[in-house]
Amino acid sequence: MSGYKEIATRDSCFRPGSTLCPGCMEATAFQNVGRATDNGVKTIFTIGTSCAEVSTLAFPNVVAWGRGDAPPDDVTKSFSIIHNVFESAPTLAESVRDVADILEGAGALRTRVQVVSASGDGGALAIGLRSLLHTVHRRARITVMVLVNEIFANTGFQYSPATTPFAETSTTPVGPDVPGNLRAPLDYVHLAIAAGAELVAQVSPAHGKLFLKTVERALALPSGTAVIFVPAPCISGWKFDDGETVELALLGAQSGVFPAFVWERGKGGKVTDCAKEAAERPAIETFLVRQRRFHHLVRRDRETGQPVPVPGREADLARLREWTQRNVERLYALAELK
Amino acid sequence: MIPEGTAPLPLLRVSTPSGERYDGVVDLEKVRAAHHALHTQRESLIADGNYAAALATLQMWRCVLYPGFPITPSTKWIETVAAKIAEHQPNIKRVKLLEAEHAVADYLAGAAAACRDLVFATATSSVGLDHMTETTRSLGASGLGNVLLIDVYRATANYPLCIEGDPSDTLAHRDDGFIQIACRGKQQIYDTLLQAPCLGMHPDILTPVMPGYYGIKDSHRNARLTVEPDHEIHAFQDRWIRPCPLPGLINGDTAFGNCTTSRWFQGFKIGQKKRMERALEVLPQIGADFERTFGRPGLAYFDAVGFGDDAPPDVAVVTMGPDFGTFEALRPAFEARTGLRAAGLALRLLSPFPREAVRRKLAGARVVLVLNQAHHQGRGHLTLDVADALFPLDQRPRLLSAFAGLGGADVSEATWEAMLDDARAALDGPPPPAYRFYHEGRRL
Repeated sequence: MSGYKEIATRDSCFRPGSTLCPGCMEATAFQNVGRATDNGVKTIFTIGTSCAEVSTLAFPNVVAWGRGDAPPDDVTKSFSIIHNVFESAPTLAESVRDVADILEGAGALRTRVQVVSASGDGGALAIGLRSLLHTVHRRARITVMVLVNEIFANTGFQYSPATTPFAETSTTPVGPDVPGNLRAPLDYVHLAIAAGAELVAQVSPAHGKLFLKTVERALALPSGTAVIFVPAPCISGWKFDDGETVELALLGAQSGVFPAFVWERGKGGKVTDCAKEAAERPAIETFLVRQRRFHHLVRRDRETGQPVPVPGREADLARLREWTQRNVERLYALAELK
Repeated sequence: MIPEGTAPLPLLRVSTPSGERYDGVVDLEKVRAAHHALHTQRESLIADGNYAAALATLQMWRCVLYPGFPITPSTKWIETVAAKIAEHQPNIKRVKLLEAEHAVADYLAGAAAACRDLVFATATSSVGLDHMTETTRSLGASGLGNVLLIDVYRATANYPLCIEGDPSDTLAHRDDGFIQIACRGKQQIYDTLLQAPCLGMHPDILTPVMPGYYGIKDSHRNARLTVEPDHEIHAFQDRWIRPCPLPGLINGDTAFGNCTTSRWFQGFKIGQKKRMERALEVLPQIGADFERTFGRPGLAYFDAVGFGDDAPPDVAVVTMGPDFGTFEALRPAFEARTGLRAAGLALRLLSPFPREAVRRKLAGARVVLVLNQAHHQGRGHLTLDVADALFPLDQRPRLLSAFAGLGGADVSEATWEAMLDDARAALDGPPPPAYRFYHEGRRL
């Protein structure tokens, strides 16, 4: 594994000029993955339609991708990217991998190639679940990155299968008798393991070293698919204040909503920085209160500034705590799988 | 080395920045050297259409990866490819069975963009093609002329489901952006597949090709097929296919599929249309070279019978597919019985539609009978195209639009006779209705 500081000095393939919201976790993730992939191997990204695509890959406006201000002389530092429809990114990556492998098998390829697929959770877990699971099932030697902001952000913050229970989205609005989203999210970490992934992780750049180490492990896999779910607080969809993205991602992980988790086939996994016992974790209210998508559950006490339940919503909050505990226990159980 | 040939140099200029291309990253000669020849001399086989199409792609050294998903009646294409590759090991060619047709189309986009100098082929039918649609429309605009999407025609609907050959699938995809070529007969299927990448990958065209043939009638029925030796196929294709001037994902520093604004979108679409229309000029050149090389007719806008130089026909028939053969067989008897001159066009190039060539051929005919074999909301897909082609004429033929053979039903001799009788009646009678349905010699 490379050193954390050394990676920070590399050329990222993610460039300035995107129109992603300031503070968007997707941009932070791309910056980090962009540096990790500057490793002497030619990099190819595939990307499904998403915020991350429409905000970074424009013509004639800025294409926020590529290493350097001009195409590099060294092909191993060069970078290519292809966008296609929402669900397509894993399949695109698989096909690029296969072509590269065939060329390599024929002795016709004069550079090594690494392929990274990027999708949102709407693209990968709703319309693209078929694509994701079958590419994993076929053990394509690629790294799949799913940026989980728990909504269809690009189209206006609608519910996705990864939405946290009780969150308000534009299609699960809060009303007098409706406390937001009533559905538990898809167990996508378990699904990826069950489909045959070689490495499955849920980790954001808020855990900086762990994130980079995981990306490097994924890129170095000799076979099989790595799937990295990146919790991605969305400043516009989750409705929080400027400058809180990383802190919120950390709190979400520590409080048990999306714990940092890395698992590798044959080796098992580990939950990091999130205690199994609820009493040893930050209270979930500290995570909820910073986001207006949970305004109906928790608010700040005017006098103490501490988060308190909204009167009448105590039962909903208790149910969310129960779900969070099950979520943490589930990941601890998955970590035991080999 | 890829030999110098007679292919024309590019005329159109790519007007958008496309990134950097790194020469030498992919050594195509190694791919060519790894090809396993299936035929070393010209041979005569008995084969069905799916076999003919599979064999043609297998004989191309540039075609090494075959994504697919089974659907009747195209399934045997991928089965044949898989069986042949399994027979001849070691082999760099691979079959990739995916989980759905949509995945196949996505896979084609990624693979074709990864290496623009290789050919990526698949076959599908009916709702399989429909399931691909979200990405076929991207492919059609992509500039990836190294995609071959073989459509084995089958009615597009599940209510009711019908597995026989009806070109409603390909005709519903006229606007996808593919060059669409219809075939009839096993030999034409094989020969068309060999020429298709030369057209699609031409540097002025860079447009994917959708060759097609009728399900069951041509996909599943056997006939004699002449196959050419692999090395001669390679020599022919190498005259036309040059290294793509644009970077691919592997040998480039580039971006595909960007977002753009409406102001710029229009420019992309104009470019797409220009490339497509350039196919009208290049297609006959490829066809002529094919005929010189192999001694059989090459790509053409249409097959024509009965058009002499002396006088135009009284009745001209326009249709596509193998049922045209029944008309060919009946034509002399019809002429003898009626004293009229009859001629016919079996369309090969559906998109872009060869308007001028069709107009020139039909000018002077008194009645044009257009047989449509696919459901259409109006007078018929082919009828509208023919009407558009004829519109500039001062003296327009009377147009008779017929529907027959829907769902792959046989267009029998009796049905042709009924349609031709109505065409004869239209010579001097009252204007015909907008369209008529026919089956087994009767109007429906």
